[in-house]
Amino acid sequence: MVLIRPQASFVALSEAHFSALHVFVRLALWLGMMPPLCAYVGMTKHGWQLGTVEPLMLPKVTIGVICALYFFALLFGFISAAIIGRWMAGTYGATRDLGAHFALLVVVGAPLVLGSLMHLYPDVFLNLLVLVPCLIWSMFLLYRGLPIVLQTTPEQGMLMASSMIGYLFVAFVSLLGISVCLWVYGIGPRLGV
Amino acid sequence: MVLAFTIAAVLWSLIGMAAGVYAAAELVWPALNLDFAPLTFGRLRTVHTNAVLFGFAVSALMGTSFYTVQRTCHIRIFAPNLAWTVFFAWQLIVIAGAVSLFMGANAGKEYAELEWPIDIAITVVWVIYGVVFFGTIAIRRIEQIYISNWFFGAFILVVAMLHIVNSLAIPVSAFKSYSLYAGAQDAIVQWWYGHNAVGFLLTGGFLGMMYYFLPKQSERPIWSYRLSVLSFWAFAYSYIWAGPHHLHFSAIPEWVQTLAMVMSLILLAPSWATMINGIMTVSTARQKLREDPGLKLIVLSLAFYGLAMFEGPMMAIRSVNIISHFTEWTIGHVHSGALGWNALITFGCFYFMVPRLVGQPLWSVRLANIHFWLALAGVMLYVLSMWGAGITQGVLWLSLDELGQVRYGFNEILAALQPYYLLRLLGGSAFFVGAILMSINLFMTISGQRTVTVAPPTTSMRSPAPAAGTP
Repeated sequence: MVLIRPQASFVALSEAHFSALHVFVRLALWLGMMPPLCAYVGMTKHGWQLGTVEPLMLPKVTIGVICALYFFALLFGFISAAIIGRWMAGTYGATRDLGAHFALLVVVGAPLVLGSLMHLYPDVFLNLLVLVPCLIWSMFLLYRGLPIVLQTTPEQGMLMASSMIGYLFVAFVSLLGISVCLWVYGIGPRLGV
Repeated sequence: MVLAFTIAAVLWSLIGMAAGVYAAAELVWPALNLDFAPLTFGRLRTVHTNAVLFGFAVSALMGTSFYTVQRTCHIRIFAPNLAWTVFFAWQLIVIAGAVSLFMGANAGKEYAELEWPIDIAITVVWVIYGVVFFGTIAIRRIEQIYISNWFFGAFILVVAMLHIVNSLAIPVSAFKSYSLYAGAQDAIVQWWYGHNAVGFLLTGGFLGMMYYFLPKQSERPIWSYRLSVLSFWAFAYSYIWAGPHHLHFSAIPEWVQTLAMVMSLILLAPSWATMINGIMTVSTARQKLREDPGLKLIVLSLAFYGLAMFEGPMMAIRSVNIISHFTEWTIGHVHSGALGWNALITFGCFYFMVPRLVGQPLWSVRLANIHFWLALAGVMLYVLSMWGAGITQGVLWLSLDELGQVRYGFNEILAALQPYYLLRLLGGSAFFVGAILMSINLFMTISGQRTVTVAPPTTSMRSPAPAAGTP
């Protein structure tokens, strides 16, 4: 529904009241499991396809650890983004209801979760090709949905969405940095470092 | 004169970006160099970096600094003829630099490739620039020196120091010289220069721009003037130490590397303080944001500033750097700063400044809005493709097989990167098309108009400053 008719979904979301726990347990937790699960299946079956003839195969235990950390990183990103959003709400005249922030993030993250099906075949370039349009779609949903769901003016919403994107950029870059650090310390591909 | 600098900056941005797009295309289709030496990647890449850095960025900074210093000091510029000398001499220097690089003359130092005769000319012109800028501050009618002028002042002083120290060389002919420093010392001096050129030119100078144009465009005082002063001194103190993080795992002492890493992490605090100050300044300017395409570009540039200033210190951590160094990730990082921060804030300022300089509204707001989306899409595509390429490259380079041997060959890794290079070319092209649209828009606004001369406000000498944070 939200992927086909976002505007109507945002209006419905703003009129309904969700408790944060309800959204987290019923939706976020399960949606957050999808990317690591797809990555686990893809990595054990096909290995990392980095554009070379021979894929990079990892032991199943290492893949399990990477996917578990991926899951926790996504959950941390989700919860921290909601808390940051709630903190920003005071500046931009938006609602401080944590349930609304959780609900908005679930909707905004939906295209990315859908795109993460591509993890079933973990070719890095193909994943990038699929996830970039999904990311643009998510950004579109954030800009359109934020003022409606969080009940603020479109202009304030535009500013708040830009600030949220700034935070999410940083969270994503942090994920890259943390992943790289884990590889260097032995959780990941065998590297000569 | 400010308009002349603006036009020059726009032209150099087009030339520099065209060279960049062509060089990016050469990485996808190497035959595009046509076996013609000036078009080979090695030469074209330096023309690209010099044109955007010294042609576009410095011309933009000279123009906006002259604009800002006159308005914030309530006085006409000191020695206008010298200011015109700076304009013409600087354009000649950039042209001579581009020609010499196409000919293959190269000092062999990144971002300091120009040979010694041009280096001497840069020094002379830079001193004249400093005389005009600080001369205007010396005769100001406002007691307080507005924060933008502190940033512009630091930019002028530090770039002079960096350029002179790093360019010391022994000439062996008219077009060739060798650095005065040897080995690891040369590397340390070079990256002290290189990193602080990023710091005081691409960050400090542009923060000067931001602190004047953001409050002006949003018609709001700076959120916290005290924070801007505090972050200025913290920025000036911490940036200067961070250069050796470009030399991790090289033949320089380990404590120098560690110091650079720690100072890079500390640098995050003043950088983000500035970003928060900017975002909070604009957070109440709702109406302006709807009407003003330039303001949207500046707000977006702040997001990219925050990203680049977080990513940089993170990449200075040695555990990250061991994977990221020498990969395309660095190129992505540089462009998230250069395109996302420097170019976007400059474009935003030009959309504000040019209509006021000629007393005409912007020719097309719609075209400026299209430019905004093209720029956002272009820079996103560029950065994401380089993140993908960099991580791939780092992992493949370092991967070992069961026997502990390097698993992948150089050719195989290069072939794996080609799709990312194509994606980068698309991103860069989108950004370039946006810049062309802006050029058309600005030239149509200027076309047939004369510059407006504004008399300085009639305040008495050394009158008290306006409310803090109001430029």
